[in-house]
Amino acid sequence: MRALVVEDDPDLNRQLVTALEDADYVVDTATDGEEGCFLGETEPYDIVILDLGLPQMDGLTVLEQWRRGDRKMPVIILTARDRWSDKVAGMDAGADDYLAKPFHMEELLARVRAQVRRAAGHAKSEIECGPVRLDTKSGRVTNDGQVVKLTSHEYRLVSYLMHHKGRVVSRTELVEHMYDQDFDRDSNTIEVFVGRLRKKIPANLIRTVRGLGYCLSEEDEG
Amino acid sequence: MKVNSLAFRLFATATAWTLIALPIVGMIIYSLISNLILDGFDSRLRQHTWVLQSEAITGGREPSRPENLAEPLFGVTNSGWYWQIKPYNGAQGRTFVSNSLATGSLPSPHEKGASRVEGDMRWLDVKGPLGQPLRVVELVGTIGEEEGSPVYLFAVAGPLDWPGATINNFGLILALAFALMGLALLAATFLQVKVALRPLSMIEKGLSNIRNGDAVRLDGEYPAEIEPLQVELNALIESNEDIIERARTQVGNLAHALKTPLAVLTNEADQKDTPLAAKVSEQAALMGNQISHYLDRARMAARANTIGRVTPVLPVVEGLQRALERIHLDKGVRIAVECDEKLTFRGEKQDLEELLGNLLDNASKWSEGDVQLQATLVDADRAHPGQWLKVTIEDDGPGVPEAQRAAMMKRGQRLDESKPGSGLGMSIVHDLVTSYRGELLLSQSVMGGLKAELTLPAVRS
Repeated sequence: MRALVVEDDPDLNRQLVTALEDADYVVDTATDGEEGCFLGETEPYDIVILDLGLPQMDGLTVLEQWRRGDRKMPVIILTARDRWSDKVAGMDAGADDYLAKPFHMEELLARVRAQVRRAAGHAKSEIECGPVRLDTKSGRVTNDGQVVKLTSHEYRLVSYLMHHKGRVVSRTELVEHMYDQDFDRDSNTIEVFVGRLRKKIPANLIRTVRGLGYCLSEEDEG
Repeated sequence: MKVNSLAFRLFATATAWTLIALPIVGMIIYSLISNLILDGFDSRLRQHTWVLQSEAITGGREPSRPENLAEPLFGVTNSGWYWQIKPYNGAQGRTFVSNSLATGSLPSPHEKGASRVEGDMRWLDVKGPLGQPLRVVELVGTIGEEEGSPVYLFAVAGPLDWPGATINNFGLILALAFALMGLALLAATFLQVKVALRPLSMIEKGLSNIRNGDAVRLDGEYPAEIEPLQVELNALIESNEDIIERARTQVGNLAHALKTPLAVLTNEADQKDTPLAAKVSEQAALMGNQISHYLDRARMAARANTIGRVTPVLPVVEGLQRALERIHLDKGVRIAVECDEKLTFRGEKQDLEELLGNLLDNASKWSEGDVQLQATLVDADRAHPGQWLKVTIEDDGPGVPEAQRAAMMKRGQRLDESKPGSGLGMSIVHDLVTSYRGELLLSQSVMGGLKAELTLPAVRS
């Protein structure tokens, strides 16, 4: 899962990045509105944390510009202005959630998980696919109730596929959502990770769709 | 007209002035005119006396009876017009009297003592033969040119009733005219006061419109003397708005400036498991609460001076409905709104948003999916004179036991720590409701959850 943090305070920015990375997100960051706006317009993110009080271009304008450009990624607004008029303005500009400063990182992470799930169309915090179960709260993957040990990259891969289960996900899309913007997009390491993952969860869950990508689903077409 | 009013003061001073000035002017005119009439009467008597003397001179030792006097009333008995010629100091000689005097005689001012002496003429007011008041003028003179000519007293009398009646008539007409003028002046003063003070009642109405929120400034054409007041009042209203706007901006800036470092501190402390981190965490939370508390206070203090703010209720409710349904999308919360679009809150938009936002957010958090908002205009009663609106917010959640409802209003009180929140929402609602002299009632909803009934000042539509 790929996240964008747009926050001008360097300390808070660092804390957000660390917390999200610890939760196995790939994080890009921007410290002003213009840079944040550009990243949001050009890169596919699964979640955006957007501060409202930004230099050069304020958060609401950035958000409105994204929504006008039909960028639909979930956005959580972060701001010190916690009045309802600000919240309504933020939600009307196209935000999906709103968090007032000061906040606890746990609450932010809970809201991030909820937004990522909601964007993929899952109502519950646990996503199931056959015997495999992903607990988005704890970041745990189980197979028939047994915890599956995964590396960070494997977790990102299975998490993205689980969130979009039943849909064919291209290799490029996987690269885009598993690595930050500086990653070499031509790499074929994805195939390596899929191969490793197939050894840890039932192999038939991840189908290779020739020429298109991968699809995680419980229907066995074997 | 109240006693302690400008109108009464103006009217009373004008009336007092009229009541004093008019009689004084009247008296002066009356005395001038009566003197003039009496002077005319006197000079006529004087004229008759001279004519009487000249007509009586014969050149001999005895006067002759004058025949060619210009007053026919000397010939009418008891007419009030008389003349008399008699020797001075009881000397020998003939005495003549006018026919009007018949057998009577005139008292001589010379003998009785004159009330006024003018050269050789003596004046005296006496009673005539019929008891009527007479004015007698008597001339001491000779009837010949030579030395030792006999000295006679030539007296002419005229009725004092004659100038008296004229004077009385004049006085009556004068009094009547002045009384009418006085009444006209009072009426004119009354009208003048009413017309002159009308702009003041216009200002009163204008200010009341601003307070009601029907206007934002004092408009209309005012007289030159009032115009500076209008300009100053409008400037005052504008500066009031500026001050509030500035205060708001400062408050917002302060919030932004303090809350970000506080978020950093909180999160940094959350990472560590040391006594220092725990202390920092605790104190940062305390600081956060204090900042919110004083920001609220500052907002309310800024708002206490605002004038003439009105806020249509429906747009605020719809904005909150959109935002909250999105925030609580996971639960599929639906907020059913029943609110007349004409309903208007007498107060700041931001305050209404805080009030309804916090109550609706609470309801949404606890509900199973159904939240209802109903806003209606309520009639004034003894407890709430004036116009009020009632907003009822209900949810289908578990509700709050009666014993715990009072505790909800306390700052920082969170009845259930499992739901996110600062514990400040309900205390903000409570403070705001109090500042608007409104009312918040919490009870059990028929839907199962909490029912919050909010009474707030409204504007008559």
